[in-house]
Amino acid sequence: MSVAQAPSPVFALRDLGYSVSIREGVREILAGVSFELAEREILSIVGASGTGKTSLLRIVAGLVAQSSGELSFRGVPVSGPPLGVAVVFQDYANALLQWRTVAGNVLLGIERRFSRAECNDRVASALSLVGLERHARDYPWQLSGGMQQRVQIARALALAPSVLLMDEPFASLDALTKSSLQDEMLRLRDETGASFVFITHDIEEAIYLGDRVAVLRGRPGTIAECHPVGLGRERDQVGTRAAPEFLRLRQHLHGAIGAHA
Amino acid sequence: MNARPLLSGLGGIGLFLGLWQLIIGSGLIEYDFLPSPWAILGGLWAMLGDREFYEEALHTLAATLGGWVIAVVLGVGLGALLGSSTTCRRYSLASVEVLRPLPAVAFVPLALLLFGFSLQMELLVIVAPALWPSLINTMEGFAGVPQRLSDVAASFRLSPIERLLRIDLPAAAPSVLVGLRLSLSLALVMSVVAEMVGNPQGLGYGLVREQQALNPERMFGYVLVIGLVGVCLNAILVMASGWILPGQFRRPQAGWDTP
Repeated sequence: MSVAQAPSPVFALRDLGYSVSIREGVREILAGVSFELAEREILSIVGASGTGKTSLLRIVAGLVAQSSGELSFRGVPVSGPPLGVAVVFQDYANALLQWRTVAGNVLLGIERRFSRAECNDRVASALSLVGLERHARDYPWQLSGGMQQRVQIARALALAPSVLLMDEPFASLDALTKSSLQDEMLRLRDETGASFVFITHDIEEAIYLGDRVAVLRGRPGTIAECHPVGLGRERDQVGTRAAPEFLRLRQHLHGAIGAHA
Repeated sequence: MNARPLLSGLGGIGLFLGLWQLIIGSGLIEYDFLPSPWAILGGLWAMLGDREFYEEALHTLAATLGGWVIAVVLGVGLGALLGSSTTCRRYSLASVEVLRPLPAVAFVPLALLLFGFSLQMELLVIVAPALWPSLINTMEGFAGVPQRLSDVAASFRLSPIERLLRIDLPAAAPSVLVGLRLSLSLALVMSVVAEMVGNPQGLGYGLVREQQALNPERMFGYVLVIGLVGVCLNAILVMASGWILPGQFRRPQAGWDTP
């Protein structure tokens, strides 16, 4: 990783906390979370359930405000979803508009912003990036789970975002679909130059995709450690997963992720 | 629509009418004023020659649709408001739950006092009960829009209007349309009630008039016509829903939810 003299980071979180009021008082979900996301970087955040992964992503996405601490996007404090940031949710069935076709879903974020021709171009290229060009007129419920998740990714890509925030996007998919979408994501990073925050509970996935892996741990959750992944940018499903660095990190994270949980 | 259940259904009706005809014809049961289906058909045929009958049918249709439109505009508007705002819901749900179970017919004396024997009276009797199915179903439709879709709307930075038109309304549409159908059948029932006891016009009045004139064939004729109007109105609305709702909702929904 060489982020020499980077201007301001894409996202910067400092000492961020989040709590919700419940019947018995206040529950702390996150406390003292700090990290930065660099340009063109994939930051994996891995954590067990109940450590506040989804809350963290919703805060970074501007969908809910933090209770304390600072969050800035390209140097500007975040108050609401920033322009150029797209989110991909885990539950694609809820996140897609079931009454719109695939193309209609991809149009959602752009239809009021650009001319009709520009929209058509963007939909076509977003769909071809995820290999769904032949399904533009299908409805989401006619597609498999993996294809529906591709629709959600295409919908995000149509915005030409500079950052994609992904919340366990491949968690409910079968192993084969999962690995092919992982490779697609790496390719997309190279083609679009976007940065990613990739949230997952899957340690291997976190290492395979990440330039860095941060561990979210404890209750309230906090970033307990953060490791650069010394595997270079080229990854492949067989070789990378057998590399000594991969195995070393995996073993370390297995211990790290569960402690104090 | 699948032809087979329709045919079987018609078969059932045919069987019932045949039995009825047989029992009356054989003299097994004798009431002075229970005509056979065949005699009712004769009465209906005679009615179809009357100008008055068409005016009555037109009146009932107009009152039903007019009352329904008012009920739907109020019901969907208020339902959308209550469904999308937890605060609104918190403050008004108690009133809704108190007003809603009032028997629809209980509005008749009030409406008569307020408006006398008039169309306004009829409309009040229709709107007051027909409002609720639209309101409740719209409210539940809007309140049931998944949190995830709200996240999607926010992260795509949709304006409140865009959000209403692109996300909330289509997501709530199946539920809203069920409400519209329930309201419509209730509107027809209430217009007939209003005409029977209050406003001396329309099919309901015709029904009572023929009963008092001891014309059971024509009276049953009116019952039949009112029933047919109800079936047709519902069928039109079901077809329209299938046309309005694209995608998954184009599949037919579970059928007989009319009261």
